[in-house]
Amino acid sequence: MKKLLAKEFRLCMVPMVPLFYLFVLMLLIPSYPYSVAGFFCCNAVFYVFSQAQMNNDLTFTAMLPVSKADVVRGRVRFVVLIQLGMIVLLLAMLLVRRLLYPIANPAGCDPCLTLLFGVFVTFLVFNAIYLPAYYKTPHRAPKHFLMATIAVFAWIVVFEGAFIAAGAAQDAVPLFGWIETYLDCIPTFTGAWIAQIAAACVGASVYAVGTWIVCKCSIARFERVDL
Amino acid sequence: MLLEVRNLEKRYPGFTLDRVSFSLESGYIMGFIGRNGAGKSTTMKSMLNLVHADGGEVVIDGLRFSEQERACKQKIGYVSGAFECYQKSQLRAIAEVTKQFYDEWDDAAYRRYLQLFSLDERKKVSELSAGMRVKFAIALALSHHAKLLILDEPTSGLDPVSRNELLDVFQSVIEDGACSIFYSTHIISDLEKCADFITYIRNGKILASTDLDTFRAGYLLVSGEPERLDAAKPYLIGCKRHAFGFTGLIHAADADQFADCKTAPADLESIMVYTEQEDAHEEAAC
Repeated sequence: MKKLLAKEFRLCMVPMVPLFYLFVLMLLIPSYPYSVAGFFCCNAVFYVFSQAQMNNDLTFTAMLPVSKADVVRGRVRFVVLIQLGMIVLLLAMLLVRRLLYPIANPAGCDPCLTLLFGVFVTFLVFNAIYLPAYYKTPHRAPKHFLMATIAVFAWIVVFEGAFIAAGAAQDAVPLFGWIETYLDCIPTFTGAWIAQIAAACVGASVYAVGTWIVCKCSIARFERVDL
Repeated sequence: MLLEVRNLEKRYPGFTLDRVSFSLESGYIMGFIGRNGAGKSTTMKSMLNLVHADGGEVVIDGLRFSEQERACKQKIGYVSGAFECYQKSQLRAIAEVTKQFYDEWDDAAYRRYLQLFSLDERKKVSELSAGMRVKFAIALALSHHAKLLILDEPTSGLDPVSRNELLDVFQSVIEDGACSIFYSTHIISDLEKCADFITYIRNGKILASTDLDTFRAGYLLVSGEPERLDAAKPYLIGCKRHAFGFTGLIHAADADQFADCKTAPADLESIMVYTEQEDAHEEAAC
Protein backbone atom coordinates (compact mmCIF):
# COMPACT_ATOMS: atom_id res chain seq x y z
CA MET A 1 0.00 0.00 0.00
CA LYS A 2 2.98 2.31 0.61
CA LYS A 3 3.88 1.92 -3.05
CA LEU A 4 0.40 2.93 -4.11
CA LEU A 5 0.50 5.96 -1.86
CA ALA A 6 3.90 6.90 -3.26
CA LYS A 7 2.40 6.56 -6.75
CA GLU A 8 -0.48 8.83 -5.75
CA PHE A 9 1.89 11.51 -4.47
CA ARG A 10 4.21 11.21 -7.46
CA LEU A 11 1.68 11.01 -10.30
CA CYS A 12 -1.71 12.13 -8.98
CA MET A 13 -1.00 15.02 -6.63
CA VAL A 14 -2.25 18.30 -8.12
CA PRO A 15 -1.26 21.87 -7.19
CA MET A 16 -4.90 22.49 -6.28
CA VAL A 17 -4.42 20.52 -3.06
CA PRO A 18 -1.96 22.95 -1.40
CA LEU A 19 -3.85 25.82 -3.02
CA PHE A 20 -7.14 24.78 -1.45
CA TYR A 21 -5.37 24.21 1.84
CA LEU A 22 -4.94 27.98 1.90
CA PHE A 23 -8.65 28.31 2.54
CA VAL A 24 -7.81 27.39 6.10
CA LEU A 25 -6.90 31.07 6.38
CA MET A 26 -10.64 31.77 6.38
CA LEU A 27 -10.43 31.09 10.10
CA LEU A 28 -8.85 34.51 10.41
CA ILE A 29 -12.06 36.13 9.15
CA PRO A 30 -13.83 37.41 12.27
CA SER A 31 -17.28 36.19 11.28
CA TYR A 32 -17.73 33.30 8.86
CA PRO A 33 -19.14 29.73 8.67
CA TYR A 34 -15.70 28.17 9.13
CA SER A 35 -16.70 24.59 8.27
CA VAL A 36 -16.86 25.76 4.63
CA ALA A 37 -13.07 25.33 4.71
CA GLY A 38 -13.77 21.59 4.73
CA PHE A 39 -15.67 21.90 1.48
CA PHE A 40 -12.67 23.50 -0.22
CA CYS A 41 -10.62 20.49 0.75
CA CYS A 42 -13.28 18.28 -0.86
CA ASN A 43 -12.91 20.44 -3.93
CA ALA A 44 -9.18 19.66 -3.97
CA VAL A 45 -10.00 15.96 -3.75
CA PHE A 46 -12.28 16.33 -6.76
CA TYR A 47 -9.41 17.92 -8.70
CA VAL A 48 -7.22 14.94 -7.84
CA PHE A 49 -9.85 12.59 -9.27
CA SER A 50 -10.43 14.75 -12.36
CA GLN A 51 -6.74 14.98 -13.15
CA ALA A 52 -6.30 11.26 -12.57
CA GLN A 53 -9.24 10.55 -14.85
CA MET A 54 -7.67 12.66 -17.61
CA ASN A 55 -4.41 10.76 -17.13
CA ASN A 56 -6.05 7.31 -17.42
CA ASP A 57 -4.82 6.65 -13.92
CA LEU A 58 -7.37 3.92 -13.18
CA THR A 59 -6.20 1.82 -16.11
CA PHE A 60 -2.51 2.42 -15.37
CA THR A 61 -2.93 1.47 -11.72
CA ALA A 62 -5.11 -1.53 -12.44
CA MET A 63 -2.43 -2.86 -14.79
CA LEU A 64 0.20 -2.75 -12.03
CA PRO A 65 0.65 -5.87 -9.89
CA VAL A 66 -2.08 -4.87 -7.47
CA SER A 67 -5.64 -6.11 -7.14
CA LYS A 68 -8.55 -4.05 -8.35
CA ALA A 69 -9.48 -3.56 -4.69
CA ASP A 70 -6.00 -2.14 -4.01
CA VAL A 71 -6.61 0.50 -6.69
CA VAL A 72 -9.52 1.82 -4.63
CA ARG A 73 -7.78 1.38 -1.27
CA GLY A 74 -4.76 3.34 -2.46
CA ARG A 75 -6.82 6.27 -3.65
CA VAL A 76 -9.10 6.32 -0.58
CA ARG A 77 -6.04 6.41 1.68
CA PHE A 78 -4.64 9.25 -0.38
CA VAL A 79 -7.93 11.12 0.03
CA VAL A 80 -7.83 10.47 3.78
CA LEU A 81 -4.29 11.84 3.95
CA ILE A 82 -5.34 15.00 2.09
CA GLN A 83 -8.30 15.43 4.42
CA LEU A 84 -6.23 14.78 7.54
CA GLY A 85 -3.74 17.34 6.25
CA MET A 86 -6.59 19.85 6.28
CA ILE A 87 -7.50 18.83 9.83
CA VAL A 88 -3.91 19.43 10.97
CA LEU A 89 -3.90 22.85 9.31
CA LEU A 90 -7.26 23.67 10.89
CA LEU A 91 -5.85 22.77 14.31
CA ALA A 92 -2.89 25.05 13.69
CA MET A 93 -5.16 27.89 12.57
CA LEU A 94 -7.43 27.39 15.58
CA LEU A 95 -4.38 27.93 17.75
CA VAL A 96 -3.32 31.01 15.77
CA ARG A 97 -6.83 32.41 15.95
CA ARG A 98 -6.97 31.77 19.71
CA LEU A 99 -3.70 33.63 20.17
CA LEU A 100 -4.60 36.51 17.85
CA TYR A 101 -8.18 37.28 18.79
CA PRO A 102 -10.22 34.75 20.82
CA ILE A 103 -13.65 36.12 20.01
CA ALA A 104 -16.93 34.36 19.24
CA ASN A 105 -18.27 33.84 15.72
CA PRO A 106 -21.86 35.04 15.18
CA ALA A 107 -22.00 33.34 11.74
CA GLY A 108 -21.86 29.79 13.10
CA CYS A 109 -19.58 27.54 15.10
CA ASP A 110 -16.88 29.40 17.01
CA PRO A 111 -13.25 28.78 15.99
CA CYS A 112 -12.81 25.96 18.49
CA LEU A 113 -12.27 22.21 18.53
CA THR A 114 -16.00 21.58 17.97
CA LEU A 115 -15.40 22.86 14.46
CA LEU A 116 -13.34 19.73 13.79
CA PHE A 117 -16.46 17.62 14.39
CA GLY A 118 -18.21 19.60 11.67
CA VAL A 119 -15.31 19.28 9.24
CA PHE A 120 -14.87 15.54 9.86
CA VAL A 121 -18.55 15.01 9.09
CA THR A 122 -18.24 17.30 6.05
CA PHE A 123 -15.49 15.02 4.75
CA LEU A 124 -17.52 11.91 5.47
CA VAL A 125 -20.60 13.27 3.68
CA PHE A 126 -18.44 14.06 0.66
CA ASN A 127 -16.69 10.69 0.72
CA ALA A 128 -19.93 8.78 1.21
CA ILE A 129 -21.53 10.30 -1.86
CA TYR A 130 -18.62 10.91 -4.20
CA LEU A 131 -16.42 7.83 -3.80
CA PRO A 132 -18.93 4.98 -4.30
CA ALA A 133 -20.52 6.89 -7.18
CA TYR A 134 -17.13 7.51 -8.79
CA TYR A 135 -16.09 3.88 -8.51
CA LYS A 136 -19.32 2.80 -10.18
CA THR A 137 -19.23 5.23 -13.11
CA PRO A 138 -15.85 7.03 -13.17
CA HIS A 139 -16.67 8.89 -16.37
CA ARG A 140 -19.47 10.77 -14.60
CA ALA A 141 -17.17 12.34 -12.03
CA PRO A 142 -18.50 15.94 -12.41
CA LYS A 143 -22.09 14.79 -11.82
CA HIS A 144 -21.05 12.88 -8.70
CA PHE A 145 -19.17 15.94 -7.46
CA LEU A 146 -22.27 18.09 -7.93
CA MET A 147 -24.35 15.66 -5.87
CA ALA A 148 -21.68 15.51 -3.18
CA THR A 149 -21.42 19.32 -3.12
CA ILE A 150 -25.16 19.69 -2.59
CA ALA A 151 -25.04 17.20 0.30
CA VAL A 152 -21.97 18.85 1.83
CA PHE A 153 -23.60 22.30 1.76
CA ALA A 154 -26.80 20.88 3.24
CA TRP A 155 -24.69 19.53 6.11
CA ILE A 156 -22.82 22.83 6.53
CA VAL A 157 -26.14 24.71 6.73
CA VAL A 158 -27.40 22.28 9.38
CA PHE A 159 -24.13 22.38 11.37
CA GLU A 160 -23.55 26.13 11.31
CA GLY A 161 -27.29 26.84 11.59
CA ALA A 162 -27.45 24.77 14.77
CA PHE A 163 -24.90 27.05 16.44
CA ILE A 164 -26.60 30.22 15.22
CA ALA A 165 -29.89 28.87 16.60
CA ALA A 166 -28.19 27.86 19.86
CA GLY A 167 -26.78 31.34 20.23
CA ALA A 168 -30.16 32.96 19.62
CA ALA A 169 -32.20 30.69 21.89
CA GLN A 170 -29.71 29.74 24.59
CA ASP A 171 -31.75 31.38 27.32
CA ALA A 172 -34.99 29.70 26.28
CA VAL A 173 -33.72 26.16 25.63
CA PRO A 174 -31.45 24.61 28.30
CA LEU A 175 -29.74 22.31 25.77
CA PHE A 176 -28.81 25.32 23.60
CA GLY A 177 -27.46 27.00 26.69
CA TRP A 178 -25.25 23.95 27.36
CA ILE A 179 -24.06 23.93 23.74
CA GLU A 180 -23.15 27.59 23.88
CA THR A 181 -21.34 27.18 27.20
CA TYR A 182 -19.41 24.01 26.41
CA LEU A 183 -19.23 23.45 22.63
CA ASP A 184 -19.63 26.82 20.91
CA CYS A 185 -17.00 28.86 22.68
CA ILE A 186 -13.29 29.54 22.87
CA PRO A 187 -12.61 27.12 25.75
CA THR A 188 -11.38 28.71 28.94
CA PHE A 189 -12.29 26.05 31.49
CA THR A 190 -11.76 22.28 31.77
CA GLY A 191 -15.39 21.34 31.13
CA ALA A 192 -15.41 23.11 27.77
CA TRP A 193 -12.06 21.59 26.81
CA ILE A 194 -13.35 18.09 27.61
CA ALA A 195 -16.62 18.62 25.75
CA GLN A 196 -14.89 19.99 22.66
CA ILE A 197 -12.16 17.34 22.60
CA ALA A 198 -14.90 14.72 22.93
CA ALA A 199 -16.81 16.32 20.04
CA ALA A 200 -13.70 16.30 17.84
CA CYS A 201 -13.01 12.67 18.77
CA VAL A 202 -16.59 11.65 17.98
CA GLY A 203 -16.24 13.41 14.63
CA ALA A 204 -12.94 11.62 13.96
CA SER A 205 -14.45 8.24 14.89
CA VAL A 206 -17.53 8.73 12.75
CA TYR A 207 -15.26 9.80 9.90
CA ALA A 208 -12.94 6.81 10.33
CA VAL A 209 -15.70 4.19 10.53
CA GLY A 210 -17.78 5.87 7.82
CA THR A 211 -14.87 6.17 5.40
CA TRP A 212 -13.92 2.54 6.02
CA ILE A 213 -17.46 1.49 5.06
CA VAL A 214 -17.36 3.84 2.06
CA CYS A 215 -14.10 2.22 0.96
CA LYS A 216 -15.62 -1.27 1.18
CA CYS A 217 -18.62 -0.15 -0.81
CA SER A 218 -16.41 1.53 -3.44
CA ILE A 219 -14.30 -1.62 -3.80
CA ALA A 220 -17.39 -3.74 -4.36
CA ARG A 221 -18.61 -1.35 -7.05
CA PHE A 222 -15.25 -1.01 -8.77
CA GLU A 223 -14.91 -4.79 -9.08
CA ARG A 224 -17.75 -4.70 -11.61
CA VAL A 225 -16.42 -1.76 -13.61
CA ASP A 226 -15.02 -2.49 -17.07
CA LEU A 227 -11.92 -0.43 -17.80
CA MET B 1 1.20 -24.73 -19.04
CA LEU B 2 1.96 -21.03 -18.66
CA LEU B 3 -1.44 -19.69 -19.62
CA GLU B 4 -4.79 -21.41 -19.48
CA VAL B 5 -8.00 -19.62 -20.31
CA ARG B 6 -11.09 -21.68 -19.60
CA ASN B 7 -14.63 -20.78 -20.64
CA LEU B 8 -14.13 -17.05 -20.26
CA GLU B 9 -17.45 -15.24 -20.64
CA LYS B 10 -18.46 -11.62 -20.87
CA ARG B 11 -21.88 -10.44 -21.88
CA TYR B 12 -22.62 -6.98 -23.25
CA PRO B 13 -25.83 -5.91 -24.93
CA GLY B 14 -25.24 -7.01 -28.52
CA PHE B 15 -22.01 -8.90 -27.89
CA THR B 16 -21.04 -11.99 -25.98
CA LEU B 17 -17.62 -13.38 -25.32
CA ASP B 18 -18.67 -16.98 -25.50
CA ARG B 19 -16.77 -19.53 -23.38
CA VAL B 20 -13.38 -18.55 -24.71
CA SER B 21 -10.79 -21.24 -24.02
CA PHE B 22 -7.20 -21.69 -25.10
CA SER B 23 -3.81 -22.37 -23.61
CA LEU B 24 -0.19 -21.48 -24.19
CA GLU B 25 3.00 -23.16 -23.08
CA SER B 26 6.21 -21.44 -22.07
CA GLY B 27 8.57 -20.32 -24.80
CA TYR B 28 6.12 -19.56 -27.60
CA ILE B 29 4.43 -16.68 -29.34
CA MET B 30 0.70 -16.94 -29.87
CA GLY B 31 -0.97 -14.58 -32.30
CA PHE B 32 -4.52 -13.56 -31.50
CA ILE B 33 -6.45 -12.63 -34.61
CA GLY B 34 -9.94 -11.54 -35.46
CA ARG B 35 -11.81 -8.61 -36.92
CA ASN B 36 -12.43 -5.34 -35.12
CA GLY B 37 -15.08 -6.04 -32.49
CA ALA B 38 -14.50 -9.80 -32.56
CA GLY B 39 -13.57 -9.76 -28.87
CA LYS B 40 -9.76 -9.67 -28.82
CA SER B 41 -9.35 -6.71 -26.45
CA THR B 42 -12.30 -7.85 -24.34
CA THR B 43 -10.68 -11.27 -23.98
CA MET B 44 -7.35 -9.77 -22.98
CA LYS B 45 -8.90 -7.32 -20.55
CA SER B 46 -11.10 -10.03 -19.06
CA MET B 47 -8.02 -12.19 -18.57
CA LEU B 48 -6.50 -9.34 -16.53
CA ASN B 49 -9.69 -8.44 -14.63
CA LEU B 50 -9.68 -5.00 -16.25
CA VAL B 51 -13.03 -6.09 -17.58
CA HIS B 52 -15.22 -7.94 -15.10
CA ALA B 53 -15.78 -11.38 -16.63
CA ASP B 54 -19.17 -13.03 -16.17
CA GLY B 55 -17.64 -16.47 -16.00
CA GLY B 56 -14.62 -18.60 -16.65
CA GLU B 57 -11.18 -18.97 -15.24
CA VAL B 58 -7.68 -17.79 -16.06
CA VAL B 59 -4.64 -19.63 -14.75
CA ILE B 60 -1.18 -18.08 -15.06
CA ASP B 61 1.77 -20.34 -14.32
CA GLY B 62 -0.39 -22.50 -12.09
CA LEU B 63 -2.00 -19.59 -10.20
CA ARG B 64 -5.68 -18.80 -10.53
CA PHE B 65 -5.93 -15.15 -11.49
CA SER B 66 -9.15 -14.62 -9.52
CA GLU B 67 -7.48 -15.84 -6.33
CA GLN B 68 -3.96 -14.46 -6.74
CA GLU B 69 -4.34 -11.35 -8.84
CA ARG B 70 -1.23 -9.60 -7.49
CA ALA B 71 1.05 -12.62 -7.92
CA CYS B 72 -0.29 -13.25 -11.42
CA LYS B 73 0.25 -9.63 -12.44
CA GLN B 74 3.87 -9.86 -11.29
CA LYS B 75 4.30 -12.48 -13.99
CA ILE B 76 2.55 -10.46 -16.69
CA GLY B 77 3.60 -7.58 -18.90
CA TYR B 78 0.60 -5.95 -20.55
CA VAL B 79 0.59 -3.43 -23.36
CA SER B 80 -2.54 -2.02 -24.89
CA GLY B 81 -1.40 0.10 -27.79
CA ALA B 82 0.33 3.39 -27.07
CA PHE B 83 1.05 4.59 -23.52
CA GLU B 84 -1.68 7.19 -22.93
CA CYS B 85 -1.31 7.92 -19.22
CA TYR B 86 0.13 10.92 -17.38
CA GLN B 87 0.70 13.09 -20.45
CA LYS B 88 2.49 15.79 -18.49
CA SER B 89 4.82 13.47 -16.59
CA GLN B 90 8.35 12.59 -17.61
CA LEU B 91 9.02 9.01 -18.66
CA ARG B 92 11.55 8.83 -15.82
CA ALA B 93 8.89 9.59 -13.19
CA ILE B 94 6.53 6.98 -14.61
CA ALA B 95 9.26 4.34 -14.78
CA GLU B 96 10.39 5.10 -11.22
CA VAL B 97 6.87 4.60 -9.94
CA THR B 98 6.31 1.48 -12.03
CA LYS B 99 9.50 -0.26 -10.96
CA GLN B 100 8.56 -0.02 -7.28
CA PHE B 101 5.76 -2.48 -7.90
CA TYR B 102 7.75 -5.25 -9.55
CA ASP B 103 9.85 -7.69 -7.55
CA GLU B 104 11.98 -8.52 -10.55
CA TRP B 105 12.38 -5.09 -12.12
CA ASP B 106 15.60 -5.04 -14.16
CA ASP B 107 16.99 -1.54 -14.48
CA ALA B 108 19.69 -2.69 -16.90
CA ALA B 109 17.09 -4.24 -19.19
CA TYR B 110 14.99 -1.09 -18.97
CA ARG B 111 17.99 1.06 -19.97
CA ARG B 112 18.72 -1.35 -22.81
CA TYR B 113 15.20 -1.00 -24.20
CA LEU B 114 15.28 2.78 -23.81
CA GLN B 115 18.42 2.79 -25.90
CA LEU B 116 17.08 0.31 -28.43
CA PHE B 117 13.90 2.33 -28.91
CA SER B 118 15.73 5.69 -28.77
CA LEU B 119 13.57 6.89 -25.90
CA ASP B 120 14.66 9.95 -23.93
CA GLU B 121 13.62 9.57 -20.30
CA ARG B 122 13.55 13.31 -19.77
CA LYS B 123 10.73 13.73 -22.24
CA LYS B 124 7.12 13.98 -21.21
CA VAL B 125 4.59 11.49 -22.55
CA SER B 126 2.85 14.30 -24.45
CA GLU B 127 6.10 14.99 -26.30
CA LEU B 128 6.28 11.47 -27.75
CA SER B 129 4.86 10.41 -31.09
CA ALA B 130 2.27 7.63 -31.14
CA GLY B 131 4.93 5.12 -32.16
CA MET B 132 7.28 6.20 -29.39
CA ARG B 133 4.48 5.86 -26.85
CA VAL B 134 3.98 2.28 -27.98
CA LYS B 135 7.70 1.69 -27.54
CA PHE B 136 7.66 3.17 -24.04
CA ALA B 137 4.76 0.91 -23.06
CA ILE B 138 6.65 -2.07 -24.42
CA ALA B 139 9.86 -1.06 -22.62
CA LEU B 140 7.96 -0.97 -19.32
CA ALA B 141 6.32 -4.32 -20.00
CA LEU B 142 9.60 -6.00 -20.93
CA SER B 143 11.67 -4.74 -18.01
CA HIS B 144 10.42 -6.85 -15.13
CA HIS B 145 11.12 -10.34 -16.48
CA ALA B 146 7.48 -11.07 -17.10
CA LYS B 147 6.74 -14.70 -17.85
CA LEU B 148 3.80 -13.81 -20.02
CA LEU B 149 3.53 -10.77 -22.25
CA ILE B 150 -0.02 -9.88 -23.21
CA LEU B 151 0.17 -7.37 -26.01
CA ASP B 152 -2.92 -5.82 -27.53
CA GLU B 153 -1.92 -4.52 -30.95
CA PRO B 154 1.57 -3.52 -29.86
CA THR B 155 2.78 -2.83 -33.38
CA SER B 156 0.01 -0.45 -34.37
CA GLY B 157 1.48 2.96 -35.15
CA LEU B 158 4.99 1.62 -35.65
CA ASP B 159 6.91 1.99 -38.89
CA PRO B 160 8.04 -1.22 -40.65
CA VAL B 161 11.62 -0.89 -39.36
CA SER B 162 10.47 -0.52 -35.76
CA ARG B 163 8.04 -3.39 -36.21
CA ASN B 164 10.83 -5.60 -37.44
CA GLU B 165 13.03 -4.56 -34.51
CA LEU B 166 10.20 -5.36 -32.17
CA LEU B 167 9.65 -8.79 -33.67
CA ASP B 168 13.35 -9.47 -33.11
CA VAL B 169 12.93 -8.36 -29.49
CA PHE B 170 9.97 -10.73 -29.12
CA GLN B 171 12.04 -13.60 -30.47
CA SER B 172 14.90 -12.83 -28.10
CA VAL B 173 12.52 -12.58 -25.14
CA ILE B 174 11.12 -16.09 -25.67
CA GLU B 175 14.51 -17.54 -26.61
CA ASP B 176 15.29 -19.09 -23.23
CA GLY B 177 11.89 -20.75 -23.09
CA ALA B 178 10.86 -19.05 -19.85
CA CYS B 179 8.55 -16.47 -21.37
CA SER B 180 5.64 -16.52 -23.78
CA ILE B 181 3.92 -13.81 -25.75
CA PHE B 182 0.22 -13.62 -26.45
CA TYR B 183 -0.44 -10.84 -28.84
CA SER B 184 -3.14 -9.47 -31.05
CA THR B 185 -2.53 -7.61 -34.24
CA HIS B 186 -4.15 -6.76 -37.52
CA ILE B 187 -0.78 -6.89 -39.24
CA ILE B 188 -1.04 -10.53 -40.16
CA SER B 189 2.32 -10.56 -41.92
CA ASP B 190 3.98 -9.97 -38.52
CA LEU B 191 2.39 -13.13 -37.22
CA GLU B 192 3.52 -15.12 -40.24
CA LYS B 193 7.06 -14.09 -39.27
CA CYS B 194 7.03 -14.84 -35.57
CA ALA B 195 3.97 -16.67 -34.26
CA ASP B 196 4.15 -20.32 -33.26
CA PHE B 197 0.46 -20.58 -32.45
CA ILE B 198 -2.66 -18.86 -33.68
CA THR B 199 -5.89 -18.26 -31.83
CA TYR B 200 -8.65 -16.99 -34.05
CA ILE B 201 -11.68 -15.33 -32.51
CA ARG B 202 -14.82 -14.56 -34.44
CA ASN B 203 -17.94 -12.89 -33.04
CA GLY B 204 -16.80 -13.65 -29.50
CA LYS B 205 -16.15 -17.34 -30.14
CA ILE B 206 -12.84 -19.10 -30.60
CA LEU B 207 -12.81 -20.51 -34.09
CA ALA B 208 -9.40 -22.14 -33.82
CA SER B 209 -6.48 -22.28 -31.44
CA THR B 210 -3.62 -24.32 -32.75
CA ASP B 211 -0.07 -24.12 -34.06
CA LEU B 212 0.43 -21.95 -37.11
CA ASP B 213 1.35 -24.76 -39.52
CA THR B 214 -1.62 -26.90 -38.56
CA PHE B 215 -3.88 -23.89 -38.82
CA ARG B 216 -2.66 -23.05 -42.31
CA ALA B 217 -2.65 -26.67 -43.41
CA GLY B 218 -6.36 -26.86 -42.64
CA TYR B 219 -7.18 -24.59 -45.56
CA LEU B 220 -6.40 -24.25 -49.25
CA LEU B 221 -6.84 -21.45 -51.73
CA VAL B 222 -8.64 -22.59 -54.85
CA SER B 223 -8.99 -20.86 -58.24
CA GLY B 224 -11.44 -21.93 -60.88
CA GLU B 225 -13.23 -20.83 -64.03
CA PRO B 226 -16.60 -19.06 -63.83
CA GLU B 227 -18.67 -22.08 -64.85
CA ARG B 228 -17.14 -24.10 -62.00
CA LEU B 229 -18.41 -21.69 -59.34
CA ASP B 230 -21.90 -23.09 -58.80
CA ALA B 231 -20.59 -26.58 -58.12
CA ALA B 232 -17.88 -25.15 -55.87
CA LYS B 233 -20.14 -22.99 -53.73
CA PRO B 234 -21.11 -25.60 -51.12
CA TYR B 235 -17.44 -26.11 -50.29
CA LEU B 236 -16.28 -22.50 -50.39
CA ILE B 237 -15.72 -20.78 -47.07
CA GLY B 238 -15.45 -17.47 -48.90
CA CYS B 239 -14.65 -16.41 -52.42
CA LYS B 240 -14.07 -13.53 -54.77
CA ARG B 241 -15.14 -13.32 -58.41
CA HIS B 242 -12.78 -11.88 -60.96
CA ALA B 243 -12.47 -11.66 -64.75
CA PHE B 244 -11.06 -15.19 -65.05
CA GLY B 245 -13.40 -16.92 -62.66
CA PHE B 246 -13.12 -17.06 -58.90
CA THR B 247 -10.65 -17.54 -56.08
CA GLY B 248 -11.82 -18.91 -52.79
CA LEU B 249 -10.93 -20.65 -49.57
CA ILE B 250 -11.80 -24.26 -48.84
CA HIS B 251 -11.12 -26.69 -46.04
CA ALA B 252 -8.13 -28.83 -46.98
CA ALA B 253 -10.30 -31.89 -46.38
CA ASP B 254 -12.45 -30.85 -49.37
CA ALA B 255 -9.48 -30.70 -51.75
CA ASP B 256 -10.70 -33.83 -53.60
CA GLN B 257 -13.70 -31.86 -54.86
CA PHE B 258 -11.38 -29.44 -56.66
CA ALA B 259 -9.11 -31.77 -58.61
CA ASP B 260 -9.88 -29.78 -61.79
CA CYS B 261 -9.00 -26.44 -60.18
CA LYS B 262 -5.76 -24.80 -59.18
CA THR B 263 -5.07 -25.04 -55.46
CA ALA B 264 -2.40 -23.35 -53.36
CA PRO B 265 -1.48 -23.24 -49.67
CA ALA B 266 -3.48 -20.60 -47.83
CA ASP B 267 -1.73 -17.81 -46.00
CA LEU B 268 -3.00 -16.45 -42.70
CA GLU B 269 -4.43 -13.28 -44.15
CA SER B 270 -6.39 -15.12 -46.85
CA ILE B 271 -7.79 -17.52 -44.29
CA MET B 272 -8.99 -14.62 -42.18
CA VAL B 273 -10.34 -12.54 -45.06
CA TYR B 274 -12.28 -15.40 -46.64
CA THR B 275 -13.52 -16.76 -43.34
CA GLU B 276 -14.92 -13.38 -42.38
CA GLN B 277 -16.76 -13.38 -45.74
CA GLU B 278 -18.47 -16.61 -44.83
CA ASP B 279 -21.78 -15.11 -43.79
CA ALA B 280 -21.99 -12.64 -46.62
CA HIS B 281 -20.48 -14.36 -49.61
CA GLU B 282 -23.73 -15.73 -50.98
CA GLU B 283 -25.15 -12.28 -51.51
CA ALA B 284 -22.03 -10.20 -51.97
CA ALA B 285 -18.80 -11.58 -53.37
CA CYS B 286 -20.01 -14.81 -54.95
